[in-house]
Amino acid sequence: MFERLRQPWSDQRAERMLGALACAVLVTIALMVLFVFKEAWPTLQHNGLVKWIGPGGNVDEQIGRMVNGDEDYHLRAWPLVWATLLTTGLAIALGTIFAVLAAIFIVEFAPDRVRAVLVPVVRLLAAVPSVIYGLIGILVLVPFVGNHIVTPGNKKSVEFVVQITGASLLVAVVILTVMIVPIMVAIIVDALYAVPRGWKEGAVALGVNRWRAMWTVSVRAARPAIIAAAVLASARALGEAIMLSMVSGSVGFAPNPFDGPLFFLEPLRPLASTIVEDAESLQAPAVRSSVYAFALLLLFSSLLLSIAGFLAKQPMKKYGARI
Amino acid sequence: MTTRLRRLGVCAAAVGVLGATVPSMASATPVITMSGSTSVAPLATLLAKAYVKKNPGKVKFKLAQGGSDVGVADVAAGRVTIGNSSRDPKSSDPGGIFFNKIARDAICLVTNPSNPIANLSQDTIQAIFSGDVRDWSQVPGATATGTIDIVGRTAASGTQDAFQKIFMGSKTVTSSIAAKASNGLVQQAVQSDKNAIGYVSLDFINGVSPAGYNGVACNLRNAKSGEYGGVRNFWMVTRGRATGIVGKFIHWVQSSKAAQAIVGKHWVPLK
Amino acid sequence: MSVTQPRTLDDLPHGGFGVEPSAGGGGAKKRRSTESISTWRWGDRIAYGMCWVAGISLCVIAAAIVGYMAVRGLQYLKPSLLWQHPSGEVDQSKSGGFLDPILGTVLLTVIGIGLATPIAVGTAVWVVEYGRPSWLARAVESGIEVVAGTPDIVLAIFGLALFQNGLFGWMSFTAEGGAVFGRSFMTAGAMMSLIALPMVYGATREGLQSIPRHMREASYGLGKTRIATIRRVLLPAVRPNISTGAALGMGRIAGDTAIVVILLGASLRLENEGSIPGLNVLKGTGSTLTSYVYNNSPAGEGNAAEKAYAAAFVLLLIVVGLNFAVDLIARRGAKTGLEGTRLGGR
Repeated sequence: MFERLRQPWSDQRAERMLGALACAVLVTIALMVLFVFKEAWPTLQHNGLVKWIGPGGNVDEQIGRMVNGDEDYHLRAWPLVWATLLTTGLAIALGTIFAVLAAIFIVEFAPDRVRAVLVPVVRLLAAVPSVIYGLIGILVLVPFVGNHIVTPGNKKSVEFVVQITGASLLVAVVILTVMIVPIMVAIIVDALYAVPRGWKEGAVALGVNRWRAMWTVSVRAARPAIIAAAVLASARALGEAIMLSMVSGSVGFAPNPFDGPLFFLEPLRPLASTIVEDAESLQAPAVRSSVYAFALLLLFSSLLLSIAGFLAKQPMKKYGARI
Repeated sequence: MTTRLRRLGVCAAAVGVLGATVPSMASATPVITMSGSTSVAPLATLLAKAYVKKNPGKVKFKLAQGGSDVGVADVAAGRVTIGNSSRDPKSSDPGGIFFNKIARDAICLVTNPSNPIANLSQDTIQAIFSGDVRDWSQVPGATATGTIDIVGRTAASGTQDAFQKIFMGSKTVTSSIAAKASNGLVQQAVQSDKNAIGYVSLDFINGVSPAGYNGVACNLRNAKSGEYGGVRNFWMVTRGRATGIVGKFIHWVQSSKAAQAIVGKHWVPLK
Repeated sequence: MSVTQPRTLDDLPHGGFGVEPSAGGGGAKKRRSTESISTWRWGDRIAYGMCWVAGISLCVIAAAIVGYMAVRGLQYLKPSLLWQHPSGEVDQSKSGGFLDPILGTVLLTVIGIGLATPIAVGTAVWVVEYGRPSWLARAVESGIEVVAGTPDIVLAIFGLALFQNGLFGWMSFTAEGGAVFGRSFMTAGAMMSLIALPMVYGATREGLQSIPRHMREASYGLGKTRIATIRRVLLPAVRPNISTGAALGMGRIAGDTAIVVILLGASLRLENEGSIPGLNVLKGTGSTLTSYVYNNSPAGEGNAAEKAYAAAFVLLLIVVGLNFAVDLIARRGAKTGLEGTRLGGR
């Protein structure tokens, strides 16, 4: 029997087998979306397709009631969604600026010895597991913020609503930025190097200084790559569960930007962290479908991001820059 | 060696390995799965270990946590064999389950070691946890200053249920409480925050300072003698009356001297 | 390589950047521009300063992270921790080491890469070499990108939903009332393979695409079928790429926590399930270094910062080592690459 298999395969058979393999990958992905949707359906049905993302009440209490098997449960997950938007948005904004500057530094201004150090450094930072970032965050940064930056006055002013310890939006955004910058730097440096040298040399020949030449020519030409990097990094930031659950305070609270500087010290809990933390009590059907609804939202968001990135790059294609 | 011979050898080895396992496959040890209360978990682990030592090879244990409500729901749905609960049966519990009492346990109010409080009356506790009193300056006997950071448990917790019933009575706990998922997390939160106050099972008072309740200190002796007021029951919940292997285990826990000696280490035995 | 060739970089996920500028790499490197920044406008000078700050702060942050982990890790890491079994005691002097988490990490990595590599290589070969019908090839490419962009927590939850079905009861443990536990090394390994898949796929695809056409045509000219060409000519040539991708995937698997926390069951030690040796470990639960660090940190149950530091240090060493290996393989592969095969280069 084995002899038949050992004979050289015909091209057709090989093509079909490999094609089946590739299709299996596609099928798995489709299965993933379907399964998550099927598990999330009870929540969507019970709460209305979109209303459950809206505000209304304390989401921690609502999840708590679901664990107890309350029939009359409802879910208004806005604090979690807002927390996700905040952390991801702020981290991407900060991270893009940081990454572009660092990339320009690596490509243009760094002395050779510094560049030789910086390149492995970026690679190292990209490889560090998120639990280590979380560990340093929770053991070093959170106590630092809690003891030195949070004042008793701060605590008093929100004492009726939420408790302020060091675990806050500030620490979460800082660490998340540090996590996503290396990924972005790699892509942007790649793109900056790919800009034809003649373009920049033309600018320099016209008397523009090095910084301006970089900024107005290379960075502009590398805009598609910057967008691609931002999309990639935001996918990572959206899905970051472990590090954020360690440093962001685990409270389903929506930080209020009108609180002024206190806004950054308020605790929060993004969607991904909620999924990880509620994974233990996943047996109650209401909690289960709520958690899957969160996962569905995350899945949709990363899909939307990819599409948005693709669309944003389209008008830039006409500049002939490398996409 | 020709490929055919090599292939034959591999087949023979595989058959041999599988054959050697057939006898052991026939007698898989039964597994008792437990889930539920984080307060009962240390006791359950000790009991399970002792029982396995006494009856080697007869039974295996798997322990998960999640909170008393999770344990009750799991055992009612047949997902685990025993649910650990640190709260009494509620009317909203699913039907078909049977509560077996195995021990009693004290709940201690704890504060940061830098802020030891000798005694808290029930009125003070209720005022603090309901949010009427927000500042340490209004608490007699406290040396800390500033806002009180209250730490408690999530809704699935039996300790939270017991705390509500015994200490809070009819007053509700404020929603600005920091809700933690287990005794260990409450212990840590109180340990790391000078202004914190919380409640934990007696087994978890390392590193934090327990406060007396209504004039009685929170320790094992007072809990055993009955003087300490904040004592609640530990239950192992089964689906229907426990029979067979599970029944034997629970019978051993409830009546054997060895088991009650283990309970007596940090908890209050049944007698 | 010509002077104006852009530096290509395959050694970081989704691109990267090369290390050494080519030795006579154009006269531009030999003479630094004589422009001094005192002639610049203020705004430009500030921007220049900020670029320096950005670059140097990256170095400082990396040094701080590695340095702090090294200091704390060495402070708390005793060699005995590496081969002692962990036990769930509150007293840290009795709670043992982390042998089981290390074994768990190794086991999970092996399973994940073992599953991912054949699938990824097969898919990449199909997309590059066959790819008919073309809409299917594009769909597969987009599909792999979707998997690459999916957060690992969503994959974990999907795994839970999938493997708690009765169909997959053989992969893990089934409780008395018929509920499938759904968490075991096999299920976690299956999901881990999904997160390593895009990396191996990308690396293999780039490797295959960079093989010049004349090699394939020479093979066809000699009468070989396409599949034989793939087996005998192309795959050996892209071995370094596959290794790079696999090493990258292994680094990502070793560092992943969310899937482990959700799909590996939460037992401290390797708990076997059933009695077929080998299969019982796969069906059983356990922990890995990442979940051990998480559980021992203040966010988990253990409240044992020393153990967390020690384990985190070991984890960091493993991941850095894997990335170093990627670098080595990539550099060695670049040198021998096509020339290593019998048909190339000579």
